[in-house]
Amino acid sequence: MDQFLGVTGNLLLGFAENMKLFFATLLFAIPLGLIIAIFLLSKFKPLKALFEIIVWIVRGSPLMLQLFVVFYVPGILFDMPMRNRFLAALIAFVINYACYFAEIFRGGIISIPQGQSEAGKVLGMTKSEIFFKVTLMQVVKRIVPPMGNEVITLVKDTSLARVIAVSEVIMSATEYSAVGIIWPLFYTGAFFLLFNGLLTILLGKLENKLDYYKG
Amino acid sequence: MPVLEVKNLKKSFGQNKVLKGVNLTLEKGEVLAVIGSSGGGKTTLLRCLNFLEIADEGEIIVDGEKVFYIGDDGKPHVPNNGGEYMGLVFQQFNLFPQYSVMDNLTLAPRLAAKRCPDYKENKKSIIEQIESQAREILAATGLSEKHSAYPCQLSGGQQQRVAIARALMMSPKILCFDEPTSALDPELTGEVLKVIRSLKDSNRTMVIVTHEMEFARNVADKVIFVADGIIEEEGTPEEVLSNPKSEKIKHFLSVLKKDEI
Ligand SMILES: Nc1ncnc2c1ncn2[C@@H]1O[C@H](COP(=O)(O)OP(=O)(O)O)[C@@H](O)[C@H]1O
Ligand SMILES: [Mg+2]
Repeated sequence: MDQFLGVTGNLLLGFAENMKLFFATLLFAIPLGLIIAIFLLSKFKPLKALFEIIVWIVRGSPLMLQLFVVFYVPGILFDMPMRNRFLAALIAFVINYACYFAEIFRGGIISIPQGQSEAGKVLGMTKSEIFFKVTLMQVVKRIVPPMGNEVITLVKDTSLARVIAVSEVIMSATEYSAVGIIWPLFYTGAFFLLFNGLLTILLGKLENKLDYYKG
Repeated sequence: MPVLEVKNLKKSFGQNKVLKGVNLTLEKGEVLAVIGSSGGGKTTLLRCLNFLEIADEGEIIVDGEKVFYIGDDGKPHVPNNGGEYMGLVFQQFNLFPQYSVMDNLTLAPRLAAKRCPDYKENKKSIIEQIESQAREILAATGLSEKHSAYPCQLSGGQQQRVAIARALMMSPKILCFDEPTSALDPELTGEVLKVIRSLKDSNRTMVIVTHEMEFARNVADKVIFVADGIIEEEGTPEEVLSNPKSEKIKHFLSVLKKDEI
């Protein structure tokens, strides 16, 4: 029993790193994703093309590789080694998830009928008023399900940060397996399941809340 | 002075010349019905009048003020307060689904008020004034009970009446309608046409694209028949609908009649 509590305590400390990475990634990747989405929809071709290439690279290569790149490349190329492992992980996660979010936002924005912004325009609204007061709220409703998917994937992906030695929960568990105690490794699954269960309930609540209208 | 003058309006999409020089004048309180077969350029004309499309050539003059023209540099000049001149009611209503009827009406006026420098000091009275105006317009369009409903809870006819009410909130000098009843079940067209007729009685200047010939005959002061991007025939409803001259309009009207039978 003592061992169980001790392991639980240590794994909780590890999972706190996962949570920090999770929330910080959401905090930065959502606004960055929105900005990238706007660039992807830009009528200025070079800008659009540039961001299409960035999104292709980021979505087309493994997140694990991106973690290595962010962690090692500044040291190799610019002689500015990354000292803060958590920060390196956060940068890689933010860029990676911002690109996924951007594609979801872009899809959401183009799915809103053009008549909506035209109605705003003939009523004399400005472009930004139309975006924030007319389009965005409808986009939010449409993207909650796909965003929910990504957010749940993000919870699990945070464990990848151990490849650059961020001491997240699975890394904490491997300290036990290294000395022959295997079960904590499996026990980490409970943390992910519990948290994702909670998220699923919250996302369901949000969907219900936005269900007050159709369209 | 006419409230609306359109001079030699032209618009192409690529090689497709859709408007080939449209000329119009409309006096205050007059109703213009625009008829014509599908693809003739009626919607494009309304969209140019509302600055949703930028015409290639021509002028739009409202109350003597040149609001749209091609500058000496060849660039089109479009007003950035187009909503004060023109209003548009769409075939598909285009209500904002996430807002109640009341908010659909007040959103644009509230945003416009916010842009004014003295908004902060008079916020309360400005909003009260916008809301009382909205209640008045809802009453006039028979929608008082629906003020807190969402668009998805309304019938098509009610939605279109909300769209008309929303357009009226901006007090445009000219209100345009693009086939306002075409998306409606036949039994719902009457309530919408009734509202438009009541607007005529309160002396609103309107441009109405419609396939409802009886309605055009009863409400319009002028009718234009648009075909292939030009005004093929114009005059009073009597002249255009009862004694048409050109073969095109005779054909158009006879096809419509057959549909009605
Ligand atoms: N945004 C657009 N891009 C290209 N062609 C268009 C566009 N809008 C309308 N057209 C063309 O313009 C012509 C007239 O269309 P429209 O004004 O909608 O006619 P109507 O309303 O009389 O049926 C059609 O040939 C149509 O294909
Ligand atoms: Mg049309």
